[in-house]
Amino acid sequence: MRRPLAQFLSCLIVPLLLIAGAAAQQEPQGAWSSVAGEFVQQILSISGSPSAVAVNFENLSSLSSSDVDLAKKAVLERFRGTGVRVVRADAAIAEVHITFSEDWRDYLWVANIRQGPSSQVVMRKVPHQQKLAAARTPTLTIKKTALWQQDNPILDFYADSQNLYVLEPEQLSLYGNDAGRWRLHQTLAITHEQPWPRDLRGKLQVSGLQVTAYLPGTMCKGTAMPPAMDCRSSDDPWVIQKSGQGTVEQATVEPRTNGQGTLVGFFSPARNFFTGVLAGMNAASVPPFFSAAAIEIGGAHQWVFAGTDGRARLYLTDLSLPAAIFNDWGSSVAAVQSGCGSGSQVLVTAPGDLTHADTLQAVEFQNQDAMPASATADVSGPIVALWPGDNSPSVRGVVESIATGKYEALLFTIACTQ
Amino acid sequence: MKRCFLPLLVLSSLLLPMHQGWAGTRPRYGGTARTLVQHKVTSLDPLADTDYAEDRNRLASLLFETLTEIDAQGRLRPRLAVSWQPEPGSRVWRFQIRPASLNDGSVLTASVVGASLKAASPEWRIVVNGKQAISIETPSPVPHLPELLSLPRFAIVKRLADGTMIGTGPFKLSEWQPGERALFAANEEYWGGRPYLDAMEVRMGLSLREHLIEHQLGADHAAEPTIDQLHTLEQAGQSVALSRPSDLLVVIFPPPPPNGWGEPAVGSGAVSTQRIGRDAKGIHPKLREAVASAINRFAISNVLLQKRSRPAGALLPQWLTGYEFAFPLDPNPDQARRLRTEAGAPATIRLAYDYSDTVAKMVAERIAVDAREAGINLQPFGDPHVTSKSGRKSLNADAVLLRIPLQSIEPYSALAGLALANDLELSSETTASILDAVRPEDLFEAERKAIADYRLIPVAHVSEALWLNTTIHNWQQLPNGGWKLDQLWVEAGR
Repeated sequence: MRRPLAQFLSCLIVPLLLIAGAAAQQEPQGAWSSVAGEFVQQILSISGSPSAVAVNFENLSSLSSSDVDLAKKAVLERFRGTGVRVVRADAAIAEVHITFSEDWRDYLWVANIRQGPSSQVVMRKVPHQQKLAAARTPTLTIKKTALWQQDNPILDFYADSQNLYVLEPEQLSLYGNDAGRWRLHQTLAITHEQPWPRDLRGKLQVSGLQVTAYLPGTMCKGTAMPPAMDCRSSDDPWVIQKSGQGTVEQATVEPRTNGQGTLVGFFSPARNFFTGVLAGMNAASVPPFFSAAAIEIGGAHQWVFAGTDGRARLYLTDLSLPAAIFNDWGSSVAAVQSGCGSGSQVLVTAPGDLTHADTLQAVEFQNQDAMPASATADVSGPIVALWPGDNSPSVRGVVESIATGKYEALLFTIACTQ
Repeated sequence: MKRCFLPLLVLSSLLLPMHQGWAGTRPRYGGTARTLVQHKVTSLDPLADTDYAEDRNRLASLLFETLTEIDAQGRLRPRLAVSWQPEPGSRVWRFQIRPASLNDGSVLTASVVGASLKAASPEWRIVVNGKQAISIETPSPVPHLPELLSLPRFAIVKRLADGTMIGTGPFKLSEWQPGERALFAANEEYWGGRPYLDAMEVRMGLSLREHLIEHQLGADHAAEPTIDQLHTLEQAGQSVALSRPSDLLVVIFPPPPPNGWGEPAVGSGAVSTQRIGRDAKGIHPKLREAVASAINRFAISNVLLQKRSRPAGALLPQWLTGYEFAFPLDPNPDQARRLRTEAGAPATIRLAYDYSDTVAKMVAERIAVDAREAGINLQPFGDPHVTSKSGRKSLNADAVLLRIPLQSIEPYSALAGLALANDLELSSETTASILDAVRPEDLFEAERKAIADYRLIPVAHVSEALWLNTTIHNWQQLPNGGWKLDQLWVEAGR
């Protein structure tokens, strides 16, 4: 059963609105004015509040000329606002030379204050503004919606209009929608007996109030209300992708084969990959893989496995022999049922490593060929997690931003624009 | 010698395995990473006075860990400490130690941590609070102690009576030939998860050129070319990563012994001329200032070092602090001549540099040319012992040109690292003002004091270069040229 469109849109749009609201809160409205006020206060404090100053400026930073003009204006207004006259150098009691400089992380405003033979220096750090990545306009378009970002690693997440659950290495954080902002309600500890392997991976499955977290060698089950989580050592296979839209019953049962659109695989308890052994599917196995996608087009099934050997394998109708091998894909793939184009696509990351920003592209399969169905979408860093959404039109992704080092939770969807 | 280098390199690049294009973002377990480091590392002890401490620190970081670390974005992060907090006044800090195992299988305890830190900083009072907590009391407030503890010298080392050193790091030392070769094996029990690599092999002291002759780069995953080799490498189509200009190239006039240099011996004819331009405190301050004014830093960086460096007016580079621009850089030959005249008749200044460092040689010779134009007789000479403190003590030189890598990408710990390594021989007062710094202005003022008497003359900040094979992944070169290797993995042969 498909969920009603309105319900789906509410799931998607409300988080979008929340993000838009959060972005608006971060907008630097009057940011220069506030910084300038504190900076001028520092200058006056150290210089004994001279009644008349001469102020000149120099820009050594990457600030645009318009930002420099705004900053200059804000500083001069602040001087005047405190009753200090801004005059020519020959009439000034103090000369203030302000340099807009920067280091590799922040802007640095530096004031050199000369009063007679003495000079003093005042500095103020100003955070770099975050820049939004430019959007692209291809035929099919991958839309990305930023839901959340944080310093600690995100393994997976779940979001609807009222709840945001963030799976981290040591805890599951439950956030609630509080007047358009995500507010932390509860954290549930993830206990484990062995040290986590490097490149820790985890997958979250939420159905109603019930929550299941798959981690290497560990499975945690609990409820969001009342908040509780119980973790135990487990070799149970992970549900990589559920068949169709998934119902509550489907989402909460033990991993099993629910038709060929469902993928359930065993995950190595001390590594970062699936062993290749699949649950159900007549005990089929494929080479060890990092990620997998299953799509169904016109009743025909297609499976893609991104192998640990760097090759992605396409299987058609059965898993005995790959129909095609692709050498130039990344290690994350996920199916998305967009309703655009052939109806379903596989999102594919680019080859690279954790030092490079990733890209994402939708591909469709015609016979044994992978055809690009969208232009590539840029993200701010490597994609460290990519899981099909519980609602197929979306894919959950986690990006480790190269610029900030933060982990960003993103929802990827396909827009049918021409 | 260089003439035969290019064809050799071109040939070797042709012999490199064709890169098949590794599909995948996720790391692969297994394999051995093979690395060449420029210098011969003879000890892995983070506290040893050794030549080329930077290469030592790189290798030691595979074995030993610090309580805190500065991440690739310059932020303070927990490592062996999970949390910390100061008492009011920042003289006493409490650290909670994470559960971790040492490489000999024993448990890391607060006692081990305390003993290690005490060895690194004997003046600290360290109290062990139970098995997993310590408090550190410093003689004066150290507001940035957590940042300070990220420096390599504060790595936690358990020292056994027989001299064996044990750490908690992601690798164990499985073979060690000092100055020649080291083999590190993955620590299966590492608290942060077993490394992807099975092993890391490091070979030392082989220049890129020698290595090309003997082995071919294709067998290796990473190497450190020198700046003067970059043009040739790039011409050969090799990919080389450059750090931000970070290594400090600085002329150091050593401070005098507590009682001065002493009077020249009576009857020694040569001494009377050598004494000109000197006093009991060494080279006359005005002559030192004259040298500082004479150096054309722009010519050195832009022409000699082909813009692989930036002129330095301060100890820390502009990209790290944002305030270096406030220190003067422009050469002033007229002022240099005037100062030389005021200092007395021209003296001969003997300037030692590391004879194995081609960049230092080029720069020292250029400084000599600039000094000569100001009427100063500066004689550069190469010496094999300038890079260690003990080697410099026996040196017959008035000044040394040193290349000092930045130990951190966080300004406070970077400057503290320079001060504590003691290559710059800063006064205890200056070191104290660095450790006491809170704001950027404090660091700026500490730097200004450090170079005010012209015993230290910053010349350039030089980039570090790194050649990487396309089959190695997640080798993070930090902005200062440092290596972050915890996510390293290599492709398997297909």
